[in-house]
Amino acid sequence: MRRGVIAAIALAAILAAAAGATARSAAHAGTKADTITVWVGWSARVLAGFKKVVAEYDSKHPDVNVKVVGGINDDKITAAIRSGNVPDVVSSFTSANVGSYCKSGAWVDLKPFLSKDHLDVNVFPKTSQYYTQYNGKRCALPFLADVYGFYYNKKMFQAAGIKSPPKTMSELTADAKKLTKRNQNGSLKVVGYNPFLGFYAGNAPDLSAYAPLFGAKYTDAAGHSALSKDPAWSRLLKWQKNLVDWYGYKNLQKFDAGAADEFSASHAFEIGKVAMMIDGEWRVAFIQAEHPGLAYATAPAPVDDAKKNLYGAGYVNGTIIGIPKGVKHKDQAWALLKYLTFNAHPLAQFSNLIRNVPTTKQSLNSKEIKPDAHFKTFLTIFANPNSKTTPITAAGNAYGTLIQAFAVKWQAGHAGDLHAGLQKLDKQIDAQLKQAQAGGVP
Amino acid sequence: MSTASVPVAAGTLVRRKPPWAVRRRRFLVAVADHSLLIVVAIIFLTPFAFIVLTSLMTNEQALSSHLWPSPFRWHNYVDVFREAPIWRWAINTFLYSVLATLGVLCSSIPVAYALSRIRWRGRDLAFATVLIALMLPPVVSVVPLYVMWAKLHLVGNLGPLIIPNWFGDAFSIFLLRQFFLTIPEEYLDAARVDGCGELRILATVVLRLAKPAIAAVALFSFLYTFNDFFLPLLYLRENPSHWVLQIGLSEFRSLHQVQWNLTMAATLLVMAPVIILFFLAQKAFVEGVTLTGVKG
Amino acid sequence: MTETAVTAGAPFTAERRRARHRAAWRRRRLVLMLMSPWIVGFCVFFGYPLVMSVYLSFTHYDLLSSPKWIGWANYKYLFTQDPQVGPAVRNTLWLILIMVPLQVLFAFGVATMVARAKRGVGFFRTVFYLPALAPPVAATMAFVYLLNPATGPVNVILGHLGINGPLWFQSPQWSKPSLTLLSIWGIGNLMIIFLAAILDAPQQLYESAELDGAGPIQRMRWVTLPTISPVILFSVVISVIAAMQYFTQAYVAANIASGQASQAGDQTVNNLGYPEGSTLFYPVLLYQHGFRFFNMGYASALSVLLLIVAFTVTVLIIRNSRRWVHYAGAVK
Repeated sequence: MRRGVIAAIALAAILAAAAGATARSAAHAGTKADTITVWVGWSARVLAGFKKVVAEYDSKHPDVNVKVVGGINDDKITAAIRSGNVPDVVSSFTSANVGSYCKSGAWVDLKPFLSKDHLDVNVFPKTSQYYTQYNGKRCALPFLADVYGFYYNKKMFQAAGIKSPPKTMSELTADAKKLTKRNQNGSLKVVGYNPFLGFYAGNAPDLSAYAPLFGAKYTDAAGHSALSKDPAWSRLLKWQKNLVDWYGYKNLQKFDAGAADEFSASHAFEIGKVAMMIDGEWRVAFIQAEHPGLAYATAPAPVDDAKKNLYGAGYVNGTIIGIPKGVKHKDQAWALLKYLTFNAHPLAQFSNLIRNVPTTKQSLNSKEIKPDAHFKTFLTIFANPNSKTTPITAAGNAYGTLIQAFAVKWQAGHAGDLHAGLQKLDKQIDAQLKQAQAGGVP
Repeated sequence: MSTASVPVAAGTLVRRKPPWAVRRRRFLVAVADHSLLIVVAIIFLTPFAFIVLTSLMTNEQALSSHLWPSPFRWHNYVDVFREAPIWRWAINTFLYSVLATLGVLCSSIPVAYALSRIRWRGRDLAFATVLIALMLPPVVSVVPLYVMWAKLHLVGNLGPLIIPNWFGDAFSIFLLRQFFLTIPEEYLDAARVDGCGELRILATVVLRLAKPAIAAVALFSFLYTFNDFFLPLLYLRENPSHWVLQIGLSEFRSLHQVQWNLTMAATLLVMAPVIILFFLAQKAFVEGVTLTGVKG
Repeated sequence: MTETAVTAGAPFTAERRRARHRAAWRRRRLVLMLMSPWIVGFCVFFGYPLVMSVYLSFTHYDLLSSPKWIGWANYKYLFTQDPQVGPAVRNTLWLILIMVPLQVLFAFGVATMVARAKRGVGFFRTVFYLPALAPPVAATMAFVYLLNPATGPVNVILGHLGINGPLWFQSPQWSKPSLTLLSIWGIGNLMIIFLAAILDAPQQLYESAELDGAGPIQRMRWVTLPTISPVILFSVVISVIAAMQYFTQAYVAANIASGQASQAGDQTVNNLGYPEGSTLFYPVLLYQHGFRFFNMGYASALSVLLLIVAFTVTVLIIRNSRRWVHYAGAVK
């Protein structure tokens, strides 16, 4: 036993020495050029693409050394800012959180930088301008946008005798039933369209991806939550639940549990276990990389039968990027931020690599963007005037969380009366917003 | 436990050989007992078996209803190390565990000694503070402590996890004190007559006699820190270069979009050190756990 | 003490008094030195957080700007408005009232069986203890996989037996039972404590009970239970304290079971408590407010409440135990 302890002490001493040595050598290397750290949410292939974009900047700027850290989520960003160990540039997929980032000052106000460099945010499309500020305070810039559209498997359509992609929700339901295959024991083998909330991100859990397709409005003119007042929400929830019940709640739940990870090569749509889906434009690049032989096509997503004029619209949001409070290399961080968001070249370059929608008007039409039939659909949806994002509020993402929690209960059949439930939800949301604005209790 | 054997031996001496019918019944009861025990034991072992099997499957198999891998993919264990910086996580984990355990031992032994073998005014009060700290759920103090470490700019590295262990751990102090109390006074007196100071007595006599308790405290502390998830989650979450194994494992799936087969291989790798440690120090483990129960 | 015994009878001279004084001073210095880690530790890591918790619970504090005094507002919100507190308390009560008794019962049952075994006590002890060693994160991940409703081995085997298995971690009805299974798998520590206590029970008591014609159940009731009741009390107390802090398994299970690592979607997956808040235990709620939303003030109010409840419960259990716990000798 004693020998073990001595060995352990020796080991610890060696490890401590080793850790110290690496820290010192890193500090030494840093004296030549400032190392600025960029946090992004991407991982794997997409992260490699981003690193390529940054490497080009890095090679042109000898005064900085850019370090990219992937796999970051908003949890980590918030924790880092609160604890004071911040990177120089942060980015987040959760544009809804911009409300809390701007309001609390966790991300710094970019206005002084913009006016110093005489930059105009009107180079960004209106939607992208909207989800990067809160109440006129701009603490973020858009860095490529995400647009949600419709994907379908052409081979399976042919086999089922379906000529064209569905344009309305009732057509979607009918096609979904035709394309679904069951095993002998009743479990689901192939799902035509998976309406289950929480299944992959395409069916955005907080219903945000469906809202523009039903023209559903979050707030009334007075700014109060209007989920119970706008009948579009009940139509949306009822349509969704009817389809879930047709499959059987438990069957779908089991199907989902058996499906591979959304960002693995065994994605259910990519391996033919799901025939249609609503998903973001990035899927085009994933399919290209993982299953280039897949016979599929893209289209705008089907819309509410009562509002056929909405066809062509879709849900839009995007990656937001900013500078956290307490940053060390403010000016270098801003220089990089400016390059990534205003310059058409990196936007087009990155868009080609990961097939996200570029976010300046100039880069949208850039010759550098490689044309792609699948991807073009999403550029059209992005330009559609009815395409919408979620409201930016002081409560940030907590707003969507409340709606999501209710919808998940509803689809499980635990929510009781829909209208009463929505009314209660409205009250909760209003209370939550009031508190978030007051900066008082949660 | 050692005292148990004495009455058993005494009992067998008086016992006369029971009649055949009784022996037969006893035999049947023993068979029933053992078979039930074996069934429950198998149920307890199956999770391990499935983890091992799944860790050798391809991802498609892991998500199918096949329970037996075909073919066996030993390569998964190579892939795991390629997918994730497991070595770095392991080094961080051992830094945390070893330094925290050393801290617990260095700080708790003197306190336990002062609380058990030296008489002084206020000793009972001091011991009461240990008992109170023992009963308080640590969750209660995390918020102010986090604020404190954040102000000291230590969040994001191992400091907040290790440092508190160098200032006494209530559980260890309690356990050691109870054990020190059982050391017969004569040993200490003999040392005192030889002219030893209290520190010498602590370093020679007490440490030598309290080996099982010290081993137990060291083991528990090591195990606790090795398995700890809550504190690393709070303090290391945003800094992947300081992640410990438990955090790395919990983020393994989302971080690398890897599959269940690799996840299970990683799970097994994280379980392995503790299990190996157990087989190396089985006696100390069992004695230690028993100590906590009987002395409590 | 030997010194005092020697000096007690001697006459007091000034020199002697000074010597005694010096010795006492040296002794005090020694005690202070030995105790110093705990004195500092208790103040910094116990006293300070306690006082700070109470102070912060009356403020709004987000770590970005300095704390703002808001009086009782946090407590008012906690007791009257927060829609999550009720379910979180109920979920934690579920653990205390259902999971803890099952754990203790099961550990006791296994210990009894192992104690009765004539052969292989060491082997069985190892088998039942091993799972307790598995790191909670690893064990939880393994169970989420094993209990995957579609492809997990458990439901596959149930399917072969013609049983349509439940949704386990994916359903609000089954998520807590699934966690209970996980906790029963890890009862090794309790089991070893019980086993030692049972083997420690004086054998003569059993023999005389047997001579009096007591069957196995009666022997259990009148011999085993009374002799090990202090150990049962101890197990219940630590299990209840552990249940009030139940976090890691709930956090990991919800995280993995909800599964959607939303990489390019727009949701920060708020999966604490998944599914449908059924695994949102009190510490998870505290974590959500303190370390996800960084409402340090409100989280402090939650911890003050937990502190009061935990203390009361522990004291109540120990008080009431006098009635049924049988202390054979002085335990402490």
